[in-house]
Amino acid sequence: METVTIAIPSGRLLEGTMQTLEAAGYFAPGAWRTTRRLILPSTDGTSRCLIAKPVDLLTYVEHGAADLGVAGKDTLLEQAQDVYELVDLGFGFCRGIVAFPAAAAEGWERKSPLRIATKYPRVTERYFWSQGRPVEIIAMHGSVELAPQVGLADGIMDLVMTGRTLEENHLVEVAELFRSTARLVVNRVSLRSRAAAVQAVVQRIRSAVARRTAVPSV
Amino acid sequence: MRLERWQQIPTGTRDLLPDETARVRQVATGVLERLRRWGYREVTTPTLEYLDVLVLGEGSAAGDQLFKLVDRGGEILALRPEMTTSVARLVATRLRTAPLPLRLAYAGQVFRWREAGSGRLREFPQVGCELIGAGTLEADAEIVALAVEALEAAGVGQFSISLGHVGFLRGLLAGLRLPEPELEDAQALLYQKDFVGLRALLERHRAAASHVNALLALPTLRGPAALAEARRLVDAPEIQAVMADLAGLERMLRAYGVWDAVTVDLSIIRDFDYYTGIVFEGHTAALGVPLLGGGRYDRLLERFGVSWPATGFAVRVERVLSADDGDAGGWAPDAVVAFDNGSRDAALACARALRTRGRTVAVEVQGRAWEDVAAEALARGARRALLVRGQTVVVRERGGGERTVALEEMVRGEREEET
Repeated sequence: METVTIAIPSGRLLEGTMQTLEAAGYFAPGAWRTTRRLILPSTDGTSRCLIAKPVDLLTYVEHGAADLGVAGKDTLLEQAQDVYELVDLGFGFCRGIVAFPAAAAEGWERKSPLRIATKYPRVTERYFWSQGRPVEIIAMHGSVELAPQVGLADGIMDLVMTGRTLEENHLVEVAELFRSTARLVVNRVSLRSRAAAVQAVVQRIRSAVARRTAVPSV
Repeated sequence: MRLERWQQIPTGTRDLLPDETARVRQVATGVLERLRRWGYREVTTPTLEYLDVLVLGEGSAAGDQLFKLVDRGGEILALRPEMTTSVARLVATRLRTAPLPLRLAYAGQVFRWREAGSGRLREFPQVGCELIGAGTLEADAEIVALAVEALEAAGVGQFSISLGHVGFLRGLLAGLRLPEPELEDAQALLYQKDFVGLRALLERHRAAASHVNALLALPTLRGPAALAEARRLVDAPEIQAVMADLAGLERMLRAYGVWDAVTVDLSIIRDFDYYTGIVFEGHTAALGVPLLGGGRYDRLLERFGVSWPATGFAVRVERVLSADDGDAGGWAPDAVVAFDNGSRDAALACARALRTRGRTVAVEVQGRAWEDVAAEALARGARRALLVRGQTVVVRERGGGERTVALEEMVRGEREEET
């Protein structure tokens, strides 16, 4: 069978992705920690993994440089690339929310014009448009929570996991836009031209995820 | 170093050098010639259309992807993003009284706005065809068989046509008996190929289990067993006609001798609003994007005032080329002709005679010395270099060897080849 290429995101979702692939039998536990290589052949030789920046991941899959990939729903929503989203991998849970400084949170709906700093300009714009509310988006690449404190924006749209960052920066959540987990995505041509090999990977990962969710963790 | 504007071309556009242009032309004419043999005659429509025409054909959402410009009279024009709408407009106006069916082909550049850095072209060539006025399965079979032949003619080595039907998805969705807004959501999720979101939505609404299973199994419903497997999963009246159509198509495509290159693929998802029947894509393992796309669109011409069914496809020429390693291969003329002082007229007559016989000939126009001209031409791959000197021609062959021939004989083509 042909070798299948799986794109894996560095960063937040790396750990969960590798655990899933280990559970699916592609790697020996923890083997990936000791290497600095960006392309890892699986132990059973059926596939190889490439480690990519999360923001680039869907590009690899959409163009077919990788047959499959793991991406957060947040990235899928923001980038809207043409890929098949097949499995909810269940880890990497977070929420996309709008937050304002505690002092300004009351009555934010009436504020106009509204300036929002975010790493997700398109999702944010779509949300405010759907509310019929004009918005000025300030696109950023990190430390979004800083923006309202220095007067760069009125509020932020960002991911939260525990809410601690919000708290520490005196921000209050006012709206939830989406809930995100890691997803398994597939290139539209790979699904057809390498159907057997790609479906085998999807199946193995699907069962690994099912086994994990079936056994309650202690 | 500063890159000046005059050194750049707009994002998503391409310059093609002679070798590249030759390959594009070869693919396009190869496909057009095959279409012609099936009775499809080429039409040409303007690159610019009124925005209103394009929006009528593509739907208003397509407006975001158009390059627009304003005519002096204030009319908004746009560059065509594909050819089918233009052909539909042409058919509904100038060919309104033509006998049906119409078999039309086209080749041309199309334009779509794409984000910079997306790695997608904003201008690219398409070659395709439309079969208008026949709503039969026979017409569908002809178009699918022709799609196989078109990719063959384009020189694609290994490819397959994935054949699906929007009626299958529509039937499954309708059978879910969801309230209207949820149905639209389900359709949107399917269109985005978001099967995780679709599963969540269907679980929330406790839709009929068989329909849900069939929808979620979509990405696997392909290959020889796809129809049987789909029937096993869901036995709904909504999709029986579709299944019968696909089975009928299989019989006809076998008769066309192209079935080996076709795979039934119920997971093919193309624009629901546009397509009304079969849909198909051409794929090759070497490329992550389809080489060809098409299907039946029986509602499009209605928007232009004639209610004729239609079916067709378009080939993405530049994708065909990037799927093929192809030899970039050097190119050189068959012959280079130089001349001595005073022999120019004789040299031009000699070149003309050779061209008449189908040779590619380049005449020396820089007045360089014969030795230099011959050495360079032969090194670049020309078959022979000719020096016209009065009434004689010195012929130097690429393989080595030199002979002298009378100009007269060379012009008549008697001693062009070495004897």
